[in-house]
Amino acid sequence: MGNGEHSEVNRGQGGLRPARTAAIIIYATFALLILTIPQSLPNWLRDMEESPVQQVLLHAASGVEAAAQAVGLDVPYRRARAAFHAWSGKEDD
Amino acid sequence: MLFPTISFAVFFAVVFPITWGLNSRNTWKKWFLVAASYYFYAFWRVEFTVLLAASSVGNYLVALLLGALPDGRARRLVLWLAVAANLSVLGFFKYWDFFAAQLINLAGVFGVVGNVPFVEVALPVAISFLTFHALSYIIDVYDRTLKPTTSLVDILLYISFFPHLIAGPIVRAAKFLAQTTHASYQSDVRLAASVFLIVGGLFKKVIIANYLSTDFVDGVFRAPADYSSLDLLLGMYAYAIQIYCDFSAYTDIAIGVANLLGYQFPQNFNQPYRALSVQDFWRRWHITLSTWLRDYLYIRLGGNRGGRIRTYVNVMITMLLGGLWHGASWNFVLWGGLHGAALVVERAFGWTGAPRTRLGAALAWVVTFHFVCLTWVFFRSPSNEATYAYFTTLFSGASWSTTMTPLVASVLVLGALTQVLPTRWFEALETRYDAGSLAFKVALPFAVIFLISVAAPSGIAPFIYFQF
Repeated sequence: MGNGEHSEVNRGQGGLRPARTAAIIIYATFALLILTIPQSLPNWLRDMEESPVQQVLLHAASGVEAAAQAVGLDVPYRRARAAFHAWSGKEDD
Repeated sequence: MLFPTISFAVFFAVVFPITWGLNSRNTWKKWFLVAASYYFYAFWRVEFTVLLAASSVGNYLVALLLGALPDGRARRLVLWLAVAANLSVLGFFKYWDFFAAQLINLAGVFGVVGNVPFVEVALPVAISFLTFHALSYIIDVYDRTLKPTTSLVDILLYISFFPHLIAGPIVRAAKFLAQTTHASYQSDVRLAASVFLIVGGLFKKVIIANYLSTDFVDGVFRAPADYSSLDLLLGMYAYAIQIYCDFSAYTDIAIGVANLLGYQFPQNFNQPYRALSVQDFWRRWHITLSTWLRDYLYIRLGGNRGGRIRTYVNVMITMLLGGLWHGASWNFVLWGGLHGAALVVERAFGWTGAPRTRLGAALAWVVTFHFVCLTWVFFRSPSNEATYAYFTTLFSGASWSTTMTPLVASVLVLGALTQVLPTRWFEALETRYDAGSLAFKVALPFAVIFLISVAAPSGIAPFIYFQF
């Protein structure tokens, strides 16, 4: 505790990019995660309070889940998760 | 609504485009962000949004009054009343029951049966950070280092802005308001820094802090007598890494999210376990709190202007109150007091500068790191009795076997690497990421979050600093 100035380190001061580029990265990342871990969104929606909007969203998310599973997009996640559980001794609740 | 959840991802996916869509209409954008922040806060308890709004409007009006009054007794009185009102709200929710219990105990010592009622109300999430932001604003206006804003929405946004609302970083009013008064001055974001802060924060919280907590630290602190001395030693190190990864993850994500919305926050951590003195530690740990305490408490008490003894007293008062701020418990007060005492000892012996030799630096690091780790035991233990049991078993040397699993040992090493690896490596990675193609810019965060999901535990524990 002193009267001198603290140095506040600010990483990444440079690298300004348009918000448009950030939007592409954010939504593309979300889309890839929804496709490769397709059970996550329906599971989250099932935990929500039931409402007409929730039902519509759940129906849509379940459709994406079914499509992703049909083409095997969920396989890398399931295999990697199983390998992690085998190594760590962990299990899903 | 916790940051590393699908709820927050969906919330942010809605807030982000609307915020930038309103960029050319600054006032609308700010009102929208206020509404989003109140929605975010209402996730915990909707009735506490009234407290948030009342605090914001009250401090907005007080600041206008402070700006209009001439210097003198009346103005000083308004400031003191406003500070007292802010601290009373904090005290009522956070400390009433603690002080009531102390009064009853004290009365019992003198044979008097105390009858102080307990309120037993839920502690509003974020009340400490909310109070710090409000006090920062009105004190700066009183000092005339900041003009009071006439824009209510600016103050509503400053106090409630969802990235920093719950657990900081504490953003000074002058720095934040300067960003709200400029009408859509930019449409660019610090992309690489934001991505690295958010993804790195997710890794630190979801993998390192969560596994250390659930698979090791919680157990050794719950029943220290059931564990070996080695387990308790490792538990102490593991908690040091856990609390760093937990809290710095929150503020890293907060800074990254704010960046993506076009607002800049100060950094809150700078590899604190590299510190070579306790003073150095406080320049690297929770930087926005330590600078707040320095500017609004230590310096106002007189700082180092009243001679050596007065300086030591000011340091001790600041650190004891800083400890108490963390929670209504003697353990936190003791923790703050130990750090205060260490700061006084360092000043008294002139140990605040950098050591001149490598050996001196190594010794200073070992002493500082272990002092910080040992004091974390007071911070983490649920009571003084538990702290005593922890240290008794730790120093008994009873057994040197360990229950630490390979998974916990691995995440402990990963957590330690966050302190050991030079920051320039991370900066170099950011620069490479920034120069990469758009496909690479998408692939990297996706791959890291995918891997975090693969290794993530089933549930996410709340952030430690939510309780403060």
